[in-house]
Amino acid sequence: MAQIEQSSGGKKKKGAQKKMSIHVDFTPMVDMNMLLITFFMLCTTMIKSQTLSIALPTNEKLDQTELQKAKESEAITLILDTDYDDNGNVKGNTVYYYTGKPVLETQGEQVVSSNLEATEFIGNDGVTQQGIRKILHDRNRGVLADVEKKKQEWRDKKITEQQFQEAAKKIRNSDEYDRPVVIIKPLPNASWESVISALDEMQINQISRYQLGNLTEVDEAMVGDYKAKHPKN
Amino acid sequence: MGKVKIKRKSTLIDMTAMSDVTVLLLTFFMLTSTFLQKEPVTVITPSSVSEIKVPTANVAQVLVSPQGQVFMSLLGDADPDNAENWGSEALRKEVLKTAAADYEAKTGKKTGITPMDIEKFAKNASFGVPLEKMHEFLMLETSKQDEFLSQTLDKPVMMGNLKPKDIGIPFKEITYTDADGNKLTTNEFQIWMRAIYNSSNTNIHDAIQKGEGIAVKSDRGTKFETIHQVLDNLQTIKMNKFSVMTALKTEAD
Repeated sequence: MAQIEQSSGGKKKKGAQKKMSIHVDFTPMVDMNMLLITFFMLCTTMIKSQTLSIALPTNEKLDQTELQKAKESEAITLILDTDYDDNGNVKGNTVYYYTGKPVLETQGEQVVSSNLEATEFIGNDGVTQQGIRKILHDRNRGVLADVEKKKQEWRDKKITEQQFQEAAKKIRNSDEYDRPVVIIKPLPNASWESVISALDEMQINQISRYQLGNLTEVDEAMVGDYKAKHPKN
Repeated sequence: MGKVKIKRKSTLIDMTAMSDVTVLLLTFFMLTSTFLQKEPVTVITPSSVSEIKVPTANVAQVLVSPQGQVFMSLLGDADPDNAENWGSEALRKEVLKTAAADYEAKTGKKTGITPMDIEKFAKNASFGVPLEKMHEFLMLETSKQDEFLSQTLDKPVMMGNLKPKDIGIPFKEITYTDADGNKLTTNEFQIWMRAIYNSSNTNIHDAIQKGEGIAVKSDRGTKFETIHQVLDNLQTIKMNKFSVMTALKTEAD
């Protein structure tokens, strides 16, 4: 559709060069480009997925005794539960937790008391932590404070990022601090999202010792009791 | 009354500038993008603060659908020098051969996988049918394969011996006796994972040991008991370190 227009002026001078204006119509080219752009926009991902690494404990018996060795004062057990609406969509995630050993006092069939408490996954309110993050934050305060100090040094450009990462790793794994051991036990109907949120909290709170564990009968009894005593409206 | 003269003006608009812009945009999209992989089920991964990127090479992705069907996709080495032996297609071919041989040895059943099936298998990014049905599945046309994998429970698609329950890698127990006469149990998922781990591509072997070689992907609403069987099996074959696919956490989360 290229057009070559001849200027058709009235007065033609003899010997003067013919003036030619060349218009190439780019419309089809633009059309095609737009189609290609649309294709690329629909068929591609701009954001690459991230990954989160997990290490599961081995199935061997040896680890069971190792686990019990973990000081009771350091242990926090998180039990994850999820509510679904009628369509099977996630309504909300609940985190039950107890520190140390599970305490369950029973009188016959009746549960008298347990040390189980419930909270939820909830982000920061400004600078203050909320929900389970606050509990974990308080337990790992020593590590977090020192990592924050190093981070400040890094921000002030006193140390490089690599140095900061190394220092942070050292602090996370140091025995000088009173560090918690977190055992995450998802209930069978806990959503995958809640499991990831729990693992995420470990990263946020710089907790280096955590694992996914299996539910025990005591745990289930405690959750059942908690639900019975705190019915959801 | 004076006549109103309508000036005749050319309506041609110069599209050159527009064309320049679109070409620039096109170049941008072509350079920054990675293609979406065809997946049997679409899942929305949960968000996390982790900033580690998914590896683009030497990774076995385990996709768990909300119904508990398990699919796998395999990526080999991205280095073009190694493509002949360690590239995605070479790796898939080798893994299918190893897995089929292992399955036949342990169950005594024939899989009937032909060399042509292996060629076809290597072209597909993801797979997820029982080994016994693999031959029949690979004989289908690509569009039929997709139709079979994406069927829903209320609209079942019947294709020969392929039934809706044949979607996904089965976890049915396989009992066999090893060389020392011990009775052992395994399942097809474990056979696949071992075949990947023991392939001649040492890079994927190293990646699995480091915990980067296996990526578990699942929807945020999937129940833990569904994913637990995958985690449990990975634990059984001592692949305790692996990664899970997440999306970047946004401010709203």
